[in-house]
Amino acid sequence: MKKWRRLTAFLLTAAMVLMMACTVMAEAPEMDESETVKIGVLVSDTTSAEALAFRAYYEEYIQNQYNVNFMYSDELKDSAGEASAIDNFIANNCKAVISLSSFDRPAQIAQCSGAGVYYAVATGTLTDEEYEAAKTNEYYVGAIGPDLMTEYQTGYDMAKYFLDEGKTKFAIFGGAIPYYTDMHIYRAAGMLAAMCDVGEGSYKDATGMDIIGKIYEDGAVETGAIGNVEVVGYVGGYDMDDAWFGKCGEMAQTEGLEVILAVGNGSDFFGAAKGEGVQIASVDAYADSYKEAMEAGTLNYLAGKFSASIGPIFMATYSAVKGYPIRDAEGNALALSQGYWVADSAETFNTYYAVDSSKEEPAYTKEMLDGLFGSSYDDFAAFVSAYTFDEIQGLK
Amino acid sequence: MELKSVMNRYGLKQKIFSIAPLFGLIALVVCFLAAATAKDLNIAYSMKNILNQSVVVAVIATGAIFIYTLGSFDISLGASACVSALVGGMVYNATGSVTLMFLTCVGVAVAIALINSVLASVFNLPVFVTTVAMLSVLNAVVLMLININGTGSQIAVPTDAVAGLNTTWFKLLVLVLFFAVCLFVFDFTKIGRLQKFLGGNPVCAKLSGINNKRLAIIAFVMSGIAVGLGSFLSITYAPTLTKNTASSVGMDVIISIVFGGMPVSGGARSRIYAAVVGAFSMTFLNQIMVMFNLNSGIGQMVKAVIFLIVVSLAMSNQRNKEILPR
Repeated sequence: MKKWRRLTAFLLTAAMVLMMACTVMAEAPEMDESETVKIGVLVSDTTSAEALAFRAYYEEYIQNQYNVNFMYSDELKDSAGEASAIDNFIANNCKAVISLSSFDRPAQIAQCSGAGVYYAVATGTLTDEEYEAAKTNEYYVGAIGPDLMTEYQTGYDMAKYFLDEGKTKFAIFGGAIPYYTDMHIYRAAGMLAAMCDVGEGSYKDATGMDIIGKIYEDGAVETGAIGNVEVVGYVGGYDMDDAWFGKCGEMAQTEGLEVILAVGNGSDFFGAAKGEGVQIASVDAYADSYKEAMEAGTLNYLAGKFSASIGPIFMATYSAVKGYPIRDAEGNALALSQGYWVADSAETFNTYYAVDSSKEEPAYTKEMLDGLFGSSYDDFAAFVSAYTFDEIQGLK
Repeated sequence: MELKSVMNRYGLKQKIFSIAPLFGLIALVVCFLAAATAKDLNIAYSMKNILNQSVVVAVIATGAIFIYTLGSFDISLGASACVSALVGGMVYNATGSVTLMFLTCVGVAVAIALINSVLASVFNLPVFVTTVAMLSVLNAVVLMLININGTGSQIAVPTDAVAGLNTTWFKLLVLVLFFAVCLFVFDFTKIGRLQKFLGGNPVCAKLSGINNKRLAIIAFVMSGIAVGLGSFLSITYAPTLTKNTASSVGMDVIISIVFGGMPVSGGARSRIYAAVVGAFSMTFLNQIMVMFNLNSGIGQMVKAVIFLIVVSLAMSNQRNKEILPR
């Protein structure tokens, strides 16, 4: 009797193990690389340090590791250019589009899904309304990039770093604030909020996140005192003409200026501020120009996107094309935030830069990305949320 | 030697040069189809794409032929299209009427063209000078319109409102109808003949009692209608409008007209079909370059080389080497 009971238990256990193994085998995603997958990449900026670093990661690393072929758009200036570039991708049999351009994202999603082409946003996020409209669209893969709260905090941390050092005279480069680009407005608002907190004052009678609304009202940052801190200069826009460069130079040489805080493209001020004892901080990428400036002491703080940060969205897109879309329990597309690597010394910068610029062992390697193929939403989210340099290195 | 004399006697050289752009277009189409087949492209979608990318320039350039025939030159067409589209978009957002938006686009473009023509003909200023001034004014107006609208960066017409018009058939219909009207006016009415005469020899035309001011105004009105239609088509294709909307149209129109074999000095050898041939040739050329993943830098260089070749060929066929517009 005992013998029969043991045998029954053994058979039941064996059957359960076999069933589980079969289930796992059936669900284990298989990466079929027999066919080349063409992926279109929409870019509104083709020459910035960040854009070049992203392109190098896709073309010099990912393209060598997977059977994919990236097709880049020309520099895009408006939504018509985006539509035209997507038409080119579709005509050239691209199976997916990864977008680094944001003139009209809902239109991009509609155009791609209308043609049965997967669409993903790299280094950015959709607004809440846009996400609500697109999240269940089977062709919308999702978005991975700094969300607006991360942008606000990035600006806050940058300004706080210098305020803690006792600096009180700041100039702000507002980038695309005059064009009402959300991420630049949030970064600037974060900077001003930190000044309000440390300087014990207010910006146009607002503090904290209320400052965001003030910048939206004006499309600019107002100069003036914030308690015992002062914004002594401001330039916005990307006119890139002589007048604009003149204004930038003038701002960099303002009497008493201690720190220039740039919401982006701080490298535009390296020449203007050189030798003036003015410190520069910027949000941008780990690029050659910033490396030189950091080593020369011209740049003092960088919150930079690392080039491999667009690796996970590639894998999510590739996975979707191969029939393994990554969705949450309700079937919604990815909406994940990812932050910056912050360097405040040449030593830290060079450590980050060595990994970021490597084409053999970049921050996100093939082995790491392969683990995301057909993974669950939660596993994918956990991987993306561990974005700091140390966390990523720890995964290797 | 004998061949040369035969060609001269029967005007064969002239005829060959006049249809060369058409052969150029056919050659580009053949190259495109061969490459597309070899690369297993979605040819049906590619053709739709080519129409999408050509139609605005083809329509505007067809209207601009009337100005070029007079030996004149309008550099403000792109900015005019942008202003028309922005005002049209604002009218839609205020009224919700696509018809009103269409009428506004055409009305604004014609009004701008009339201002240009009045400045040029009534005050006897060179057209090129007035359109350069107009270009500056219109660029400022674009920024003002976007600021007035309050968003700071764009004026957006709801995609659903114009999605029904963003079809191949609608675009083809607009292009064919407008081309037919222009062809009729240009080749089968007194207006077209007088314009060619005036463009070819303004002194002689003046001595013959031809009212050059009236003809200039008609030319600008035709061009204005084309810009209005082009701006409306731009809205249907990409309803989010910015200061860069149609920004490349002005230069594309000039290149298309030259590609199409139109002498930019105007006159009797002006051809109304040059704009359509040129616009589609340019797009096919672009598509071939996209297919081979050539970046825009190389693309621009290839276009520049072809542009120089076309202009050189055009000059070699003209007794009067002054081919630049007045």
